[in-house]
Order: sequence, then C-alpha cells, then structure tokens
Amino acid sequence: MNIFRTIKQASQKVINKRFDHWLSRRMPSRFQQKLSNRNIFILPTRFGFTYLFFDILLFLLGTNYQNNIILLLSYLLASLFITVMMHSFYNFSQLTFSSKAKQTGFAKQVLNYPITITGHKIHFDINFIFSESQHFLKVVKLAQCDTDTIEILLPWYAKQRGVYSLGRVKVFSEYSLGLFITWSLLDFSHQAIVFPQPKRLTDNQQFLTGLDESNGASMQATVGGEDYSELKNYVLGESQARIAWKQLARGQGKLSKNYQAQQGSLLWLKFSNMPSSDIETKLQFLCFLILEYSHNKQCFGLVLDLPPSITNSTKNSTLIKIEPNSGYQHQQSCLIALAKVTD
Amino acid sequence: MITNPTKPLSQPVDLFYLTSKNAWLLWCCQLLNLSTLLLEISTWMIAVIALCLCWQALLLHNRLNTNKKHSKVNISVKQQMAISSMLLMFIAVSGCIAIAISARSLGVLVSMLHLLTFAYTLKAFEIKKRKDFYQLFLLGLFLLASALIFKQTLAFSLLIVFFLIINLTILHRVFSPTKTLLLASKTVCILLLQSALLAVTLFIVFPRLSPFWQVPSVNSAKIGLSDEVSPGDIASLALSSDLAFRVDFKREQIPDYSTLYWRAMTLENFDGKKWTRAKDDINKTLSQVTSPNVIFEPETSGLSILYDVTVEPSYQPWLFGLAVATSNDARVALMSDYTIQSRNVLSQITHYQVKSYLHSSLDLTINEVDKQRNLSIVKGSNPRLEKLAAKLIKQYVDPIDRAQAVLETFRESHYFYTLQPPKLLNNSLDQFYFDTKSGFCVHYASSFTYLMRAAGIPARVVTGYLGGEYNNVNAAALSQQNGQQGGHLSIYQYDAHAWSEIWLHGIGWKKIDPTAAVDPQRVESGWSNTLVTQQLSMNNGFIGLYQFKRISWINELRLQLDALDYQWTRWVLGFSSKQQYDLLKRLFGKQMPWKIAGIVAIALISSMALVTLFYRFNMKIFKRKNVTPWFSLYQKALKILATKGLHKPVNMTAFDFSMLVTARLPQISKEFLDFTLTFEQLNYRKLSDLERELHLSRLKKQYKGITANLS
Repeated sequence: MNIFRTIKQASQKVINKRFDHWLSRRMPSRFQQKLSNRNIFILPTRFGFTYLFFDILLFLLGTNYQNNIILLLSYLLASLFITVMMHSFYNFSQLTFSSKAKQTGFAKQVLNYPITITGHKIHFDINFIFSESQHFLKVVKLAQCDTDTIEILLPWYAKQRGVYSLGRVKVFSEYSLGLFITWSLLDFSHQAIVFPQPKRLTDNQQFLTGLDESNGASMQATVGGEDYSELKNYVLGESQARIAWKQLARGQGKLSKNYQAQQGSLLWLKFSNMPSSDIETKLQFLCFLILEYSHNKQCFGLVLDLPPSITNSTKNSTLIKIEPNSGYQHQQSCLIALAKVTD
Repeated sequence: MITNPTKPLSQPVDLFYLTSKNAWLLWCCQLLNLSTLLLEISTWMIAVIALCLCWQALLLHNRLNTNKKHSKVNISVKQQMAISSMLLMFIAVSGCIAIAISARSLGVLVSMLHLLTFAYTLKAFEIKKRKDFYQLFLLGLFLLASALIFKQTLAFSLLIVFFLIINLTILHRVFSPTKTLLLASKTVCILLLQSALLAVTLFIVFPRLSPFWQVPSVNSAKIGLSDEVSPGDIASLALSSDLAFRVDFKREQIPDYSTLYWRAMTLENFDGKKWTRAKDDINKTLSQVTSPNVIFEPETSGLSILYDVTVEPSYQPWLFGLAVATSNDARVALMSDYTIQSRNVLSQITHYQVKSYLHSSLDLTINEVDKQRNLSIVKGSNPRLEKLAAKLIKQYVDPIDRAQAVLETFRESHYFYTLQPPKLLNNSLDQFYFDTKSGFCVHYASSFTYLMRAAGIPARVVTGYLGGEYNNVNAAALSQQNGQQGGHLSIYQYDAHAWSEIWLHGIGWKKIDPTAAVDPQRVESGWSNTLVTQQLSMNNGFIGLYQFKRISWINELRLQLDALDYQWTRWVLGFSSKQQYDLLKRLFGKQMPWKIAGIVAIALISSMALVTLFYRFNMKIFKRKNVTPWFSLYQKALKILATKGLHKPVNMTAFDFSMLVTARLPQISKEFLDFTLTFEQLNYRKLSDLERELHLSRLKKQYKGITANLS
C-alpha cells in the first residue's frame, strides 16, 4: 500500500512538474496578461456533466415514448451545451489583467494584491484566486466588467515569515449557465515578503536586551540641553528639536546639534541580544523593536549575527549588518532583512 | 502600520443565496412548470403542491421582511427554517407513502409523475448550496419534458419552449446578477436560437431508434368511435369539436363531400339493443392484426386515389379510409370487412398512406355464415318493424326497391333529424320508427338495417366519419405555383356518422345512408343550422367549432392555425423513421452512417461558427455604440496627423501630444491646442447636455480649422 502511495505521489509530482513547465513556456510571467485562446482552458463543470447525463435521459424518454417533441427538446438542450461553451469562451477572452508583483506584510496578516482588469466588452462573472491558495480564502468575485478599468484586491494570507513566490493566479468564470468553467492560470510573479509578527517585549525583557541603558542615556542627553558635542549641517528631515537655534539666530546657517551619547552608543538592535532561545521569537522581538524605534523616529542599526546552523552550508556564522539610520526606507530594509533570514 | 494581525477571512463553504427577486422568480417558474402537468395529476396532489407553494411564498415573504430589518431577526428565521426542515421530512415521507398507496389506481406513469412533481415542490425548500439549485433546475426541465408525453400540439410545445426560456433565464441570472431580467431572457433566447440549427439538423438526420424497453403507457380514455353502438351514442360524439384525423390528398382531386364516407368498422351483431362487431370477426381480426402473415387481399379494380391520413391518438386501433382501402404500410392491417386497423393501439399521432379504389365493389360473393349473420334479428323484439318488413317483401320483388321504399318513408313522413331525440324505451326501434320519428344517424341506420334484415336482405351498420372540412391555406401558395389542388381535410369528432350497407347480388355490399333521406344537407355539405344551434344549447353555451365558422375573420384565422397545426403534425410530430429514411435518401442518396456523421459535424462546426460570427458582429456594434462622437473626431484628427508622420504614442496624454504637435507642425499649433483642450473638456469633464452640444460644435469647427490649415 505504502509503495503504491509513494509511486502515486511521485508520478503526480512528475506530472505537476511537467505541467508547470509547460505552463511557464506557454504562459510566461508577465506584468500584463491578455486572455486569448493561447491561455484559456475550458471544461464542463460537474453540473455540465450532470446536465449532459440528464439530456441523455431525456433522449431515452423521447425514444421510448417515440415522442418527437421530447427528442427535439433533448437535441435542443444538447446543442445549447455547445453554444454555451462558445459563449463561455467569448465572455472570458480578450480580458486584460495587470498586477503589481511585490507586496510586503506581517505574518498572520492578509496581503492584498491589486489586480487591474480591462474588459474588451461587457464581461460577466469573473473570479480570482491564487491557484495554490489556502482553502479558507474567499474567491474574489467580479459580477460585471466593462471596458473601463477595474481594480480588485486579491487577498493572500501570510501564515509565516519568509519570502514567498505565490505562483499563478487562477482567473475563472462559469458565465452563461454554469455548464462550463473557463479558466486561466496567470503568472504575475507575485511575491510576498512576510515580516515576522511583531512581539512586544516586557519591561524585564527590555532590560535583558541591554537597550535600556543606552536608551536612557540618549534621553538624558536630550534633556541635558546644551551638551552637544558637535554641530553639523542640518539635513532635511532631521528633528527640529536638534536645530541649533542660537547659531541660526547668529546667522551661521541651519546647523543641527549632535550629542555625544547618541554618537557614542549608537542604537544597534542585535539579534543575539534578544531574550529568547528561539530564532523566530528573536526575530519577532526585533521586528517589534524596529517598528517601535521607527515610530519614535529614532536612529538605529540592525545586526543579524545568526548562529551557525546545521542546514546552512557555511559553517561560519553569518552576519548581516545594516548601518544605523532612520526613516521609512530604512525600516523597510530592516524588516526585509528579517524576512529573508533563513534558518 | 497595522501591527494587529487581522484574523484569516472566514470562508462560507459554498453557500448559495438567491436574491429575493430571483427567489420569487424561481417560485413563479415552479408554478408555471407544475401547471403544465395540472391535468395529469390527481386532485389531492394538486392540493398538497398548492399548499407547499403557499408555504414557500410565505417563507419568501418573511425572508424579504427580515432582510430589511436587522440581522438579529435572522436567528429566529433560521430556527423557523430548521423547524420547517423537520416538517419537510415528515411531509416528504408521508407524501411518498400516499403516492405508493395510490400507485395501483394511478398507473405507473402517473404515479411517477406524482413523485416527480412532489420532489420538485419540496426541493425548493432546501436550496442551501448551489448543487441544490442545479438539481431543482434539472427537475424542472424534466417536468416540462414529461408534460410533452401527454400533449404535443404546436401551441403546447411553444408554451413549453417559453417555460424553458424562463427556467434558463433564472439559471442565467445567477451568473449575471447585474443584468436586468429582460436582458437576461434576451441572452437566453439568443443562446437557444443559436442552438436551433444544430438541434434541427440532429432532429432530421440523427437516427430514430426503436424503443429500448417497454415504458408504462399513457392511461387515457378511449376517444372517438366505440365498437358498440346503440341509438343515441354518436350524438354524444357530435358535441365534441376535437380533431379526429386529417387527410391530405396531395395533388389529387378531392372527391365530393357526399362521397367522403370514412369507414372505421362494420357492426354485424344486433342483440335488440346495441350493435356490436361480429364475434368471429373480432377473433379473426385479432389474428389478422397480431400476425402480419394472415393477409386479406381485397379485390380491387378501377381508378384509385392515393392520400395520406394523420390520425390523432385515439387509444383505439381503428384507422379510417374510403372504401375500398388498401395500404402498403406494415402497420396497417387490412380487414376482411374492408376496414383497416392499426396493429397497435393509437397512442400517438400516426401517419399512414392509403390507396382507395372508389368504384371497386365489396364482396361480390358472400359465404353462408356471413349471410346468416347479417340476416339475423332477434325475433319479436320489434314486432311492428317485422310486420312492415313482411309487407315490403310482398310488395317489392327487387331488394333495391325495398330499400328505396324505406328511404322514401324517411323522406316523406316527417322524420326529423335531431341531436336531441326523445328517449326510447329499451332502445325500441319500433317506437322510433312509428312514434317518435326523430333521431340521429344511428337511429336511422339501425332501424333501416333492422328493417332490411327482416325483409331478407343482408345488412349491417357501418360507423365512421362523414365529410371533413377542407382547408386550402397550405394549398394557396402551392396551387399558384403548380395550378394543382392541394390542402387537406380535417375531420372532427362531430363528423362521426353511422350508415348502412346492404348486400346485393352482383353488386356486393352497397352503402346506403338513411340520413341522406332525412337531412340531405348533412350528407352534402355538413351540419344544418338547426343542428348547430342544438349543439350549442347542449354544450351549455360553450362555443363549439361550428359557431366560429359564422364569423368570417375568425374562421379565416382558425383555418390558418389549423393549417399550421397540420404542418406541425405532419413534419414534426409525424416525422417517423420511415419518413426520415425517405427524406435522407432523397437529399443525400444512399444512406450511410458516415454521411450522417458528416452532416452532424458540419452542423456542429457551422453553429460554432455562427456563434463566433455573432460575437464579432456584436463587438462591432458594441464598439460603435461606445465610441463618443468627440473621441471618433479626435481619432480622425490623429489619423490625419499620422499621414504627416506624427504618431501619438499610446501612453502620451492628449495635452502632451498637442505640445509635440506645436513643436513639429507650427502651422496648426494654435488650432490643435484648442482642439485638444475642447476634446479634454468633453472627454473628462462632467458637462450638462447643453454645454456638451456647444463644445461638440466647437470641436467640429476646430477640426475643420486643422484640416484647412494642414492642406
């Protein structure tokens, strides 16, 4: 039994691989995709097959009763099946989709991928879902699409930290009578960069990180007023509180005060300092701190001094260092670094 | 930045909701579907179904109300629904038991129908998933199809198609909720029309198969003539305006009305009250009918006339033809009394061809058994007639003279032809002949036959139909082309008739109709006005067919419809495997399976091509409709500029392009800038109708300016 199952799984894998290969050749990844007979699949639905079976029943009824009208009805329903197939196809073809490839978000959050749809005429009943989708996510339904451009948000649930490529988007429609399903698998190279879920540090834990003192020092320095160590040219975006007003009043231009404490003990968020033995938890703390510091507009740097792990090919410990800075861009690069950490 | 992780979206597992409008539509559709079977299902079932539908309507009404209010109420509704599902179970089980109990009296087919309608009604209560809805839809279609088992007239078939459209529209609306009802039904009509080509091709070329297995037959009452006739019987048929059969003489001359005696059966046994078919006749016919080996070959001579007969289902075996009728059709059995019968009971429209030798004689010789049977009377049952017969024998030597004498009596002594004869005691012919002197065809035929037998002449009663209504609507076009007569005769139930045949030496069976002596108009052209008024009063004022004939435009319309119905019956209902074979042979020569497959394939491909063409055509219209006049004008201007070597890149805005134009074609810089600005106003601003008009006229002027400056 077991052997059988493994064989089955293996063959399925091979088939899937083949199919994926074929798909990627036939429908390569593109930012914008247009539906045509090159990339549309069409098959009867379950209801379609039931309908056909039922039509055969009608044919039997008509034949057994030698009733021409029932026969005619069964022929009509059979040809309706063909007509509906054509209409299903034409309702679906010529649609144009475009989508932004990358989205970032935190773990246990839903990421929304905007997809813009441009119709060729009036199209009906267009549904979207990630083909390798999690079952609990809703299919996004678009009842009608005109020649205008419509944007929908395709949700993806980020379960875990990491960098994922989301695979293809399945676009499908059962328009006309639900007898046929037309679908396409579109590859927008959708990528999700999932940051760790931020985890709040308790006061005790904060103490353990060794950040408390330096934090206090910086506070003191700020309170200490004039004890700045040097004056630098003011850079746009720096805190107004640090502008050396006196110098400005003297006409020496806009200068900003730089404090010793800040200079000396630059805020380094260090991976190894995080109060946990679990890598993921450490990352979650780091994520929280990054967000917190960014929120307070503080300057900080990030050091990811990962321990050598078994899975890592290099026996040496890897070190990722991001120089201290502040601002949104900095925050993002820090978070992305967290997301990209491989165990 | 949201730090709180949102919970994963909860997915309702394939729940299915109909909008309230759709739900009501479905309800109406169910009502319509069920109404097609109203005549077939028993009263108690109709009551149950009506109750269920009312309940359903109530639930729908409640749902509508609660939807308007807050969702709090939904819980109670859900509870209600839960209770109803328990009840539903109970109703379903008890209903099935009731059907099972009454199955014996209902017959298999009808009890199956009961089950079907019952399931269809109950299924509507539990539409929770899409699957349920689909099931309901398919059941509805099956209901419509089974209604066609019982009735196949053109009008009814059209009605079924109409209901089919409604069914499909509801299904379609699930997938296009934004469409209006009218638009959705239009789409469905288009779908059906596009399917029609393939359907008709399949109908014509797809082989008609013989039944795969025995199916429960339609248990219907026998319609039309019965094989037992007592005076007064045919009068009840005379009230019916139903069609009995139609006759198409193709291009041959239609015989005179007074010779159109459609023989159905001969009645040779008389027990003093009623006429029945001869016993050994029945036995003989049974063997004759069942085995095609026993062949009766009528002797025929003289001119023949060929015609097609299309009989409505009568649930009896009688077929109709003019004497002497012969047929090559395997389903038609020729009987020794020169009548024709079907080998099966006629449960559906049947079509057969008859060749009649109108001047050929019937049975020049008669064997002793037959002779004795046709001379036998119950002695003493009608003593006064017997006495009269004895007198006739004495008075006239020639049998023809005896018959003439009786007819003369009918003609001269104030006999009265009426649908409402006075009641006779024990069906006494004496009483009719001597006292009441008024009756319908059977009275005259039986008393005449009785009298003839008593007077020593072999005689029998023949029943069938007399005459027929000539409809030349179909022929009108035909006769203009070919100058030949066409059209068909429609024979209705009220044309039912009884007459006599007497056997004369050297002549054989001779038809004598005593009715002709009493009411010549009946025989020559049809019912007299008195009969029509009688029919009207007996039908309790219900308008019979004959009344319609009075008003010319209604009659014209009626004849048109009759002609249409005939074509329908002939070409659609009566399209048998034999006709199919003939048609295909005529069209494509020798029949071969691959030819049929080829035809079907061609039809398939062409119907698919049809859809594609339709789509392309629609796209063109759609584009034309959606392009605004200013946009098309702007496009025109772009085209002109393109000839000058200036192409507008797709991603460039109109304004940027006008800058480009200014740089490259300075001679129209101002004009094109103005043109662009006006265009942008029209295209992107919300303008009132008046403003739009103004801008548009300005745009046109500017466009002219551009073209002028360029050239």
